[in-house]
Amino acid sequence: MNIRVEQPAVEVHDLTVSYQNRPILWGVDLTLPQGALVGIMGPNGAGKSTLLKSMMGLLPLSSGYIHLFGQPLAQVRARVSYVPQRESVDWDFPASVLDVVLMGRYGKLGLFSRPRQSDRDIAHDCIRKVGLENLAHRQIAQLSGGQQQRVFLARALAQKADLYLMDEPFAGVDATTEAAIVDLVRELKQQGKTVVMVHHDLQSASRYFDWLLLLNQRLVASGPTHQVFVPEHLQEAYGGKLTLLAQMGELMKQGNYPAREK
Amino acid sequence: MDSYAFQIVLCGALVAVNCSLLGSFLILRGQALVADAISHSVLPGIVAAFLFSGARAGGPLLVGAGAVGLLTTLGIEFLHRRAKVQSDAAIGITFTALFALGVVLVTALAGQVDLDQDCVLYGELAYVPLDPWLTANGWDLGPRAAWTSGFCLVVLLVVIGLFFKQLYLTSFDPAYAASLGLATGVWHYVLMGLTSLVTVASFEAVGAILVVALMVAPPATAFQLTRRFRAMLGLAAAVGVLTAVGGYVLAAALDASVAGAMAVVAGALFVAAWAWGKWRTALAGA
Repeated sequence: MNIRVEQPAVEVHDLTVSYQNRPILWGVDLTLPQGALVGIMGPNGAGKSTLLKSMMGLLPLSSGYIHLFGQPLAQVRARVSYVPQRESVDWDFPASVLDVVLMGRYGKLGLFSRPRQSDRDIAHDCIRKVGLENLAHRQIAQLSGGQQQRVFLARALAQKADLYLMDEPFAGVDATTEAAIVDLVRELKQQGKTVVMVHHDLQSASRYFDWLLLLNQRLVASGPTHQVFVPEHLQEAYGGKLTLLAQMGELMKQGNYPAREK
Repeated sequence: MDSYAFQIVLCGALVAVNCSLLGSFLILRGQALVADAISHSVLPGIVAAFLFSGARAGGPLLVGAGAVGLLTTLGIEFLHRRAKVQSDAAIGITFTALFALGVVLVTALAGQVDLDQDCVLYGELAYVPLDPWLTANGWDLGPRAAWTSGFCLVVLLVVIGLFFKQLYLTSFDPAYAASLGLATGVWHYVLMGLTSLVTVASFEAVGAILVVALMVAPPATAFQLTRRFRAMLGLAAAVGVLTAVGGYVLAAALDASVAGAMAVVAGALFVAAWAWGKWRTALAGA
């Protein structure tokens, strides 16, 4: 199933991406609607992060193209913001929360100019939105995993973009942070922004997302969550692993276990 | 302190400050070993420049060494990306080959060129006052090495001052920097170019082998003491100056190589900073 939309936020056309001659993504073709919360899901190695990085122009494409808001990335870079995986950087780096969030403004600055007071105000505002206002001058090495993830989110917000691409923002974060992120992306959606995120947890998927994209090297399904989040598509994406997951999910429902440790 | 001693310490301090400022970026990018590689592999560039122009300082030297420095970086990346050699092995192959070429050139041409093997490898700060910069009408402007390093320091400060945000962001999060449209490759080569420059400016004083000690130890010492980047740059420079003074005192007391003594002091300062950091955390925990 592949539902197409008019005037998409993201259009991926016939995309193939390979690493060392081994294809990671094969002939992916899809459109994502503007103003939606989009989840990219699939088993490990399905190419979820690869798809996101390709949208952000970080990987060479073997074939196909990607348009954002109907244009190549270079023309709309100012409208797009990327949240990398938290583990992708060294958190021992000498920087404060404010230093990192200010980086979100760098794209708006000229070659030689430094962040101005208005940039600092925006950064402080974004730090407040993720609930870290008391830690603005704290060194990032001293933060918890969830707080680090919120710093990345604040940095992305500081870009004032229209499209947010987030690589597993919920990976390894505490329940408070997850709730804070969910509130934040819903607020973005209300402002008409588009959020696309790589997500792992099947349990919460149907609650979080309006649009779901199932991937397993090829595109399995792309469409409104209620149409995509059905056993036949999930089965196709996750294969044999899903039966185990389904049984676990059933057990958890019956036993009323929390999905994670509180 | 007499004039000779002052000149030696001044040169040592300038070299150490150059290395410390640049090294602060390099160690945070995990590229200390690439700097090590460049500091060794510029040797054939130095010899070639010397052979063609007879100059032991100035433009030709800078061009020759800069070209080989760039070649080293390209070689390492080529071996790693295209030939699929592990990155540490790629560094090992590239710089040893180029360094060996330099050693062969120096020894083979020993009779023809006034370039001493020991001096290139280990440097000799004590001889710095013997090579003053004399103007046409005979004014003594002080040791030539101090002018070279001073010029290098100005270049470093200008580049870091103008492009701080680019160097900072590409060091912390290159993928995000690329997503903002920053040319991460360009900034990588800017830093590698500066590494070549600093190495060439320093090799006469401290030699190709010890220059890396000054690029790594003072920034690593500063990193033990602070997690604020601007403070780290300042502290690294201060540790560099301390290293030069301490190294001179130690060398004078033992009648030993000044460059060697500086590297020893740099190592000792690192251990002291590390121990102090541990002690401080232990106190905070108690």
